[in-house]
Amino acid sequence: MKETLKLGIVLALFAAGACVALALVYTITGPTIEGHETKQLELSLKDLFPAADSFRGLDGDLKPKDTSVKFDQTYEVTRAGAPLGVAIKVRGSSYGGDTTLLVGVGTDRRITGVKVLDIKDTPGLGANAKSPTYFVDKSTKTTFPGQFAGKPLSDPFEVKKDVVAITASTITSKALTNMVKQAGAAALEYLERSAQGGK
Amino acid sequence: MKRLAAIFVKGLVAENPLLMLMIGLCSALAVTTSVENAIGMGLAMTFVIVFAELVISLFRNLIPNSVRIPTFIIVIAAFTTIIDLSMKAYFPELSKSLGVFIPLIVVNCIIMGRVEAFASKEKPLDAVADALGMGLGYTWVLMGIAAFRELLGNGTLLNAQIMPEAFQPILFFTLPPGGFLVFSLFISFNIWLKRVLARADRAPVKEAA
Amino acid sequence: MNLAKIFISAFLIDNIVLMRFIALCPFIGMSVDVPKSFGMGLAVTFVMVMATIVTWPLYHFVLIPLRIGFLQILVFILVIATLVQLVEFFLKKQVPSLYGSMGIYLPLITTNCAILAVTFDNITRGFNLVESVVYAVGVAAGFLLSMVLLAGIRERVRTSPIPEFLKGTPMLFAATSLLAVAFMGFAGLVK
Repeated sequence: MKETLKLGIVLALFAAGACVALALVYTITGPTIEGHETKQLELSLKDLFPAADSFRGLDGDLKPKDTSVKFDQTYEVTRAGAPLGVAIKVRGSSYGGDTTLLVGVGTDRRITGVKVLDIKDTPGLGANAKSPTYFVDKSTKTTFPGQFAGKPLSDPFEVKKDVVAITASTITSKALTNMVKQAGAAALEYLERSAQGGK
Repeated sequence: MKRLAAIFVKGLVAENPLLMLMIGLCSALAVTTSVENAIGMGLAMTFVIVFAELVISLFRNLIPNSVRIPTFIIVIAAFTTIIDLSMKAYFPELSKSLGVFIPLIVVNCIIMGRVEAFASKEKPLDAVADALGMGLGYTWVLMGIAAFRELLGNGTLLNAQIMPEAFQPILFFTLPPGGFLVFSLFISFNIWLKRVLARADRAPVKEAA
Repeated sequence: MNLAKIFISAFLIDNIVLMRFIALCPFIGMSVDVPKSFGMGLAVTFVMVMATIVTWPLYHFVLIPLRIGFLQILVFILVIATLVQLVEFFLKKQVPSLYGSMGIYLPLITTNCAILAVTFDNITRGFNLVESVVYAVGVAAGFLLSMVLLAGIRERVRTSPIPEFLKGTPMLFAATSLLAVAFMGFAGLVK
């Protein structure tokens, strides 16, 4: 019994030492880790609407028609009080897990741009959605999300029709395209509602 | 000093964990689609093995034999977590790229194997030399496979376009089947190399006799 | 996410060994013959499901509320190691013949990358408990399938002529490469 107790104590000591060390490292790195996400979102919002001076969070005003896609955050984008459009942080399931995109929709009924915030798909395949050097159109150096910039919401948003897929990553391409489509449709509905002054 | 060097060099070639001992394969193929990922993974694993072997060697006389495995696990898990948190904070893109494979370092057979076979029995300095050899041996093989796969499968090395524009990347190499095939060829090459080195070793002795 | 979709993805489309390269050590080392592969596969299935059932609630009801999520790696691997020990004790007492034949491979299940990977996946993919268990079963089934397939190939190949440079392990990986190609065909199976 005494032997077992001694063994238990040794283990407990090591475990305790490990926990203390980890807690220490976490207090140092934790804030930095959380900071990354916020900074990434801010930079991405700015990228989609460079002229904007205000992003107001809209809670629950927009909902996707396709329930497999979720809107994590939605923003009304304005400049000097005048609406520029809507930005939606949309999350959906892709090849390797959840993917998060930031979709900007302008008051001109066009996508201002799409940013891939987080993607867990296979590197070299689906993950190329996020790669700055992977081009769906090599001559114009257009990336996969880049092809959505300026795209009218009236387009069908279908891979192989009006959207170029990532090579050998049809599932990823379809998933992301659907997410952009859902965000676009919801944003359109919101913009038309507010244009009619119905908010 | 010479002894330390000998211990270190062992892990690089003669007892290379991936090619000779055939352990720690799990993460090896998954992260070799790009050289950047391979370097990241290799260095992360080296960090964990060096500190794990160091700590366990320092405490080797204080760890009761019957609970040595759980103790090893605790130490290895602690350092794996440290590198995981550090990478998430200071190399977020690389961390996301490598995904679950960083936490998987904790079950990397190489680390557990060396800690059990070496660090728990040898002096700290020797343990560190061994860990560095194993870790860097792991890293260079990873880089080799990745260089192959990235160059042929993507035309790039470290994201810089190496192959001429006209080169059509052979996608096969970045896909799983390609990975297995490349690895198969690396092992085959290594077996041949081992044989050649063994013959070269024996030859002078024969002449002397 | 639909349960059937999760299962099929884990079992075939995103097969843990052939598509994700995880659990290669036991895959190569244990697929010596079909019966052994089957036994190993079942043992892994059991531990994987048990690990899921223990780690999932542990993470969501203990680690997160106490804000010690950073202890995830430590806690999860200790849970798995403990489970494997318990399985070992159980087998030793109740089914000693099986324990004997599995020998040293039983403790090695602890370092089976797939088990830890699955417990982590359950968290990163935001599964609820039911989805996690279905996922674990799917992955384990995929692991078992891939091992049995390779074992079958190995049994055949033992009596076949192979080029010198591929003899031994290289041939195994070359064969695995072909299996992987076959499994890539499942890619469009689920929308």
